[in-house]
Amino acid sequence: MFPKLDPILHSELRLAVISLLAGVESADFTYIKQQTGATAGNLSVQIDKLSAAGYITVEKGFKGKMPCTTCSLTPEGLEAFRNYIDALKEYISH
Amino acid sequence: MEQNKEMTASESLALITETMNNNSKEIIRRGGKYFILWGILLTFFSLLVYALWKSTGHSYWNNLWFAMPLVGYPLARMIRSKEESAVATNVISRIISGIWTSFGVFACSLAAFTVLFTIVGDHPLAAIVVGASLTAEIVLLFGLAETISGVALRNWAIKIAGFVTGIGSLAIYYITGANEEQMFIFTLAGIVLAATGFIVKRQNS
Repeated sequence: MFPKLDPILHSELRLAVISLLAGVESADFTYIKQQTGATAGNLSVQIDKLSAAGYITVEKGFKGKMPCTTCSLTPEGLEAFRNYIDALKEYISH
Repeated sequence: MEQNKEMTASESLALITETMNNNSKEIIRRGGKYFILWGILLTFFSLLVYALWKSTGHSYWNNLWFAMPLVGYPLARMIRSKEESAVATNVISRIISGIWTSFGVFACSLAAFTVLFTIVGDHPLAAIVVGASLTAEIVLLFGLAETISGVALRNWAIKIAGFVTGIGSLAIYYITGANEEQMFIFTLAGIVLAATGFIVKRQNS
């Protein structure tokens, strides 16, 4: 019996965002957009979903006069990411 | 990138690996710019101090070194704000930043103490502080900072460059003696630092 893949993470853009945040302490919206190549609208929707699931924290502030959204992975998000990778490995090994 | 694309397990793992690798490379690549900036400044100031020291015969032109952080830090801040509107930090970038900030603080403090004890020459500590070679001390600190950066970046070229700069320059210093030509040690260190930046950028682009 294969473990069920987390539907929140089993989406191309959300998985890319979580993978990116797993390697940093925090990243702002512009950086995530550059690295994933996603559109701002699409990325914004996916970040909201990850935030609603408790996988990331989103802090809105200002950098100078410009608004700045900073995201970071939560411990729950990291745990979910680890479980997701373990599940993927099981799929591949069978 | 689309959010609803059906992915196989292999595709998901490949996406994770690619994203993490690209992200790590990007953050390290950005660090290379600061190596280049400080390398160019170090080369410039060493040649400037050498030229003024040589032409006037006065070693007090060494005080110009205090202008280097005054020029460098605003430039570094400008690069960060203009070219990097998108920001991410990871452990490596924070360690590298910490190493070079610590180097700057130690180097400036050593220089400031040397100037201070040169002014109050009759203090018992003056003989120790002024007697030690500031060039030798700073170049050793520099080599150490670069070597540790190489360890953090897992880059053998930087580790070796740091060791060669620190120990090699020290050897050159004791062979040539304390005169204006010791500035070429800093010129060499600056060139090595800038070259390090180019290597980091190239390896991670």
